[in-house]
Amino acid sequence: MTLTGILTVLWYSALPWLWLIALMLVIFLVPQIIARMKGYGFGSTGGLGSKILPPIVAIASLFLLPIHTQSTLAYVNTWVDWMNLIGASIGLGIYAWLVFHPICYLRNRKA
Amino acid sequence: MSSKPFSTANERRRDLLKIGLGAAVAAPVLSMAGNAAASRVQSNAHIVISGAGAGGIAMANRFARSLPNARITIIDAREDHHYQPGWTLVASGVWNKSKTLSKTGEWIPSRVNWVRGMVTEYDPDNNQVKVSNGETIRYDYLIVACGLQLRYERIEGMDTALIGQGKGVGSVYASIDAAAATNDEISRWISRGQGTGLFNLPPTALKCAGAPLKMTFTTLSRLEDSGRRNQFTVEFMTPSGGLFGVPFYNDFVKQRFTDQGVVRNDFWTLTGIDADTKKAYYSVRDGEDQVKDYEFIHVVPPMTAPDSLLNSPLRFADDSPFRDWMEVDRETLQNPNYPNVWGIGDVMGMPSNKTAASVKMQANVLEQNFLAFLQDQPLPARHNGYTSCPLITGIGKAMLVEFGWDSKLLPSFSFIDPKEESWTVWVMKERMLRPAYYAMLEGKI
Repeated sequence: MTLTGILTVLWYSALPWLWLIALMLVIFLVPQIIARMKGYGFGSTGGLGSKILPPIVAIASLFLLPIHTQSTLAYVNTWVDWMNLIGASIGLGIYAWLVFHPICYLRNRKA
Repeated sequence: MSSKPFSTANERRRDLLKIGLGAAVAAPVLSMAGNAAASRVQSNAHIVISGAGAGGIAMANRFARSLPNARITIIDAREDHHYQPGWTLVASGVWNKSKTLSKTGEWIPSRVNWVRGMVTEYDPDNNQVKVSNGETIRYDYLIVACGLQLRYERIEGMDTALIGQGKGVGSVYASIDAAAATNDEISRWISRGQGTGLFNLPPTALKCAGAPLKMTFTTLSRLEDSGRRNQFTVEFMTPSGGLFGVPFYNDFVKQRFTDQGVVRNDFWTLTGIDADTKKAYYSVRDGEDQVKDYEFIHVVPPMTAPDSLLNSPLRFADDSPFRDWMEVDRETLQNPNYPNVWGIGDVMGMPSNKTAASVKMQANVLEQNFLAFLQDQPLPARHNGYTSCPLITGIGKAMLVEFGWDSKLLPSFSFIDPKEESWTVWVMKERMLRPAYYAMLEGKI
């Protein structure tokens, strides 16, 4: 299969999930914008929640992603499987940090 | 399981990286891209496409772009379009049947004339077809994409109306409703807590040749998940003695059946069923006929080209092993006796190639060759026999089986080992192949 063909399939696969991607973008942007208006930066102190929750999300994803696809962790078998699963879990962990870090910053600032 | 890599680890990782980077940048742009393969050709010809299944619609979309002045007619009575590769997932309880349904009209380009009817007679000597609505349609060029005919009537006592009636009869092939009803029958069998399940192969070529195996493997998953696997007997019947056309996978499935306690009955052909008494009748090569009691039976019917094709000069000669199918040159897809007639999809007489993945490859070959033929040029493309079957070996895992003529493995992705069971391949089957199919229908891949 050509690279163009693969990319076309990836795009068609993403189409039904554009609403979710948009929703995730909004959930990411809203706390980021509000916090940045109040002096937030990636280097700011986030708080305990932003330290604990992203690793929990990443670790939970390792187990939940196979279940979400009607499979099980026991069937994650090849190096490609592990790379995909770990990559997706780390990605979700980073996303969780990007959402929770500014929220925790705002909470700390309030307190 | 033995595993022979097809490329180096570095190559595989490099390919994966390329795709990952490229996807983020280029994928949205591609949604607006047209057919990648063909340049435009000026022609006023009338092209008739018999059948609006995967092959017919893919060609209609491709020709609508590459032949802007041609008159294109597609003939099919079916208002619903079915994503048939998803039927095994429905029959296994993984998908709801609505995931496989769309409207035929959604996929046919606006400039293509859709005639509601089925071709009842092919008359290639006079360049015309007769349609079930009474019309006779003349053509300059004909694309035969009418699919195949399920011959349940060749199994005595079998009627698709029996499927899902609580009599233990299932068949994923009959229709989407039959696939859903097959799931119900399997659930009923499991809830009874015991009994024999019979899984069959037909004595003919069949579409999605992996489907009977997939149904067996997903049912085994469900039996094992019930926690009472040892209370059930599972048997698999093969008319030819083989389970899969590619030796590696044939051996793999045999071994897996042994490991999972499946009794294999080689050279058994299902000849009849008595649904009321739950008995199946088999002819056995070089042996006496046999009768088996069952609680569940998965019937796979014999298959041939439709009668309209079989009663026409387009079929293979009687002495051919493909006499029940349309004659084409297997590499150019052109009928050797009527050069203005071409074939695509299940209807063609070939050793395998009755899958949607085959259609993807064939559509590209057929378009290139057809356009060259219109311009009196040599036919440039050759079909390599590519077909693909994500062989589900349990609910949640699969192997990406891709091969061509002479069972030569033709893996599309250097980083996916075609000889390993994989979660990634399952995700591809469950999440990505339906979008790929729709991209194929639109002629994008």
